[in-house]
Amino acid sequence: MDLLNNLALGFTVALSFQNLLWCFLGVLLGTLVGVLPGIGPVATIAMLLPVTFTLPPVSALIMLAGIYYGAQYGGSTTAILVNLPGESSSVVTALDGYQMARQGRAGPALGIAALGSFFAGTVSTLVIALFAPPLAEVALKFGPTEYFSLMVLGLIAAVVLAHGSLIKAIAMVILGLLLGLVGTDVNSGVARYSFGISELSDGIGFVTVAMGVFGISEIMANLQQQDTRDIFVAKIDRLLPSMDDLKKCIPSVIRGTVLGSALGILPGGGALLASFAAYTLEKKSAKPPRNFGKGDIRGVAAPESANNAGAQTSFIPLLTLGIPSNPVMALMIGAMMIQGIAPGPQVMTERPQLFWGMIASMWVGNLMLVILNLPLIGMWIKLLTVPYRLLYPAILVFCAIGVYSVNNASFDIYMMAIFAVLGYVWVKLECEPAPLILGFILGPMMEENLRRAMLLSRGDPSVFFTKPISAVLLGISLVLLLIVLSPSIKKKREEAFQEA
Amino acid sequence: MRLLSLVVAAAGVALATAAFAQPYPSKPIRFVVPFPPGGPLDIMGRAIAQKLADVWGQPVVVDNRPGAGGGIGAEIVAKSPGDGYTLLMGAVSTHAINPSLYAKVPYDPQKDFVPVALVAQVPNILVVNPSLPVQSVKELIDYARAKPGALSFGSGSTGSTGHLAGELFKTMAGVDMVHIPYKGGAPAMQDLLAGQTQLMFDNLANALPQVKAGKLRALAVTTLKRAPTLPDLPTVAESGLPGFDLTTWFGVFVPAGTPRETVAKLNAEIVKALASKDLADRLAAMGAAPPENNTPESFAAFVRAEAAKYAQVVKRSGARVD
Repeated sequence: MDLLNNLALGFTVALSFQNLLWCFLGVLLGTLVGVLPGIGPVATIAMLLPVTFTLPPVSALIMLAGIYYGAQYGGSTTAILVNLPGESSSVVTALDGYQMARQGRAGPALGIAALGSFFAGTVSTLVIALFAPPLAEVALKFGPTEYFSLMVLGLIAAVVLAHGSLIKAIAMVILGLLLGLVGTDVNSGVARYSFGISELSDGIGFVTVAMGVFGISEIMANLQQQDTRDIFVAKIDRLLPSMDDLKKCIPSVIRGTVLGSALGILPGGGALLASFAAYTLEKKSAKPPRNFGKGDIRGVAAPESANNAGAQTSFIPLLTLGIPSNPVMALMIGAMMIQGIAPGPQVMTERPQLFWGMIASMWVGNLMLVILNLPLIGMWIKLLTVPYRLLYPAILVFCAIGVYSVNNASFDIYMMAIFAVLGYVWVKLECEPAPLILGFILGPMMEENLRRAMLLSRGDPSVFFTKPISAVLLGISLVLLLIVLSPSIKKKREEAFQEA
Repeated sequence: MRLLSLVVAAAGVALATAAFAQPYPSKPIRFVVPFPPGGPLDIMGRAIAQKLADVWGQPVVVDNRPGAGGGIGAEIVAKSPGDGYTLLMGAVSTHAINPSLYAKVPYDPQKDFVPVALVAQVPNILVVNPSLPVQSVKELIDYARAKPGALSFGSGSTGSTGHLAGELFKTMAGVDMVHIPYKGGAPAMQDLLAGQTQLMFDNLANALPQVKAGKLRALAVTTLKRAPTLPDLPTVAESGLPGFDLTTWFGVFVPAGTPRETVAKLNAEIVKALASKDLADRLAAMGAAPPENNTPESFAAFVRAEAAKYAQVVKRSGARVD
């Protein structure tokens, strides 16, 4: 069977000594990054992009992917132990997880987080293996009109599913769009918004924006908060949940996995939203007696499974269609382009080793993570005891080095500083950076496809509605838009996020 | 005290001399490729970079700077110091086409650069999507005349040989087709395969695998002479448009002011690299052969001749970019 052949190919690639090493390095770094507050997988991947120049493509992508889903595991560790979500998608885990830790049940909490994530990772790897090829077939049906409509859907979904104020999310998307327009228009050769600065004629690099807006502004915001970080290093004797716990959690894990897999595929979805959605769903559908907010183990199991499933399946649009579904995927596109791989539907067929190797190594990475996380928790906690005044200069230095090494241009460091200040302003204004990055990536692609579709149709705009796939995608966008505007759903969103 | 300062001064002089005596190259070299990664220029550029790095022990880093038909990368190198540490993979677009095509070009292709070595001359082939009911160039011209404005042809960027070949075809055959620019050859090829566009003047390396797989139909080559790897494929010139001649060529340039010894050294190593088995194989796969008698002077003469030729081609076709 084709699937078995492909998986066999994938495992041969993934289990080579070199790739195992890079996978391990990736998940180790990812866990570290997830555990450390103030730096997330986006900033880490952005920092490590220049390192991937020298690696073979498969190894580079395996490592970066490992960082991404490794960060999901690591973030839950500190979220549970010290109520500090090291990763934004672990915010929900902290709600019940920390309560469990206070009750001396940190072990089962950590255990169920790791095991639930592993189950979700396995299932979503299978989803990718099964559904990625059909998706790739569909991909050729996607011409400029369909891409444009898909991007409209992605941008609207980014707004809808982002938490917080709707107006602000829309504003950030549009701002990202505008920033993405800076540079030379490849169609006409006209330089836009470059103000004559030749470094800007290529556009603003997304590594610069990502590090400034995510990494450095996070540091600035953290420095402002005079947090006392108490480290609740209670005895963690029971690392494994009891059989009762496991039985209780099975439906939660399954629900979380399904939701995470579904949301991860959509552009604008991903781990963060999957965990929020899973927690809300769990609150409504778990069997009583419910103890959410006070240490219900299902409140840890569901979001953890969801965020890991979402992290894995968010690779599907990237690997099959070349479209990023969240900022991390956008960085992965950058990594692929650096390696000379034009991301798109042809990656599957033209580079089967890359594709199946990555999928197989995702499962391998999940296995490594379970083995890593359970015994090494003590060590992670030691790192947290480094005073922040020593930690943050190190992070700043890493960001500066990373950004400089992309173009060997100090100009990029200045740009990153500008974006750091802007990012801090946005944090203060409670504007999320994620919609900005999505607008930044999707906007120019949307414009290019719009103009191309109009050229091909000789100026006839009805083509967006007469082509079936495009019409369906625009229809879904409209439905999503209506959901946003519908007041009852708006209230539910605010309700869910009240808890957080 | 005087003795000490004398000794220090002498040591300083010795050190300074030592610095001057450092052979080229003594630090990493930047090889600007003004096109997106993955295309034939980029692949050859990386292969050459690797060979140079192996021989000289210094990293030769490929820096992709796509955009404006190669103009962005060319401008960067034109403004770089002529010390031999910045190379450009220039092409027919940057040094022959753009100066005539664009209203303004931020560099002077003749004055700002010193040609080092020609890397390859690659023919383009005219391919059509199999759904188009034409089997030859003649049938294509008839089809296009019967349906003006109905056909779309894609190209890797505005000002590429794919674009200009199409424009020249339009002028010489008297037909009306719409040009659809893409960001690189790969997306253009994808849309051609899907049937969004109907034909393309793509370079041989990209198009050949698709033709062999039956996904595209090849009608003709754009050079005056038939391609050695496809002896059965007629040229456009012999299929009804005499005088039609376009190739995609690319070669290595350095900024003006680079010392002649450095240029000669680079030329020698590049020619050696091109003659090596793996690069020669890659060139053959592209339908090109390593150029004979490849000296900086012959390359410079070639570039001047091409610039003059394309000034004519662009003018005749009436294509313009702002």
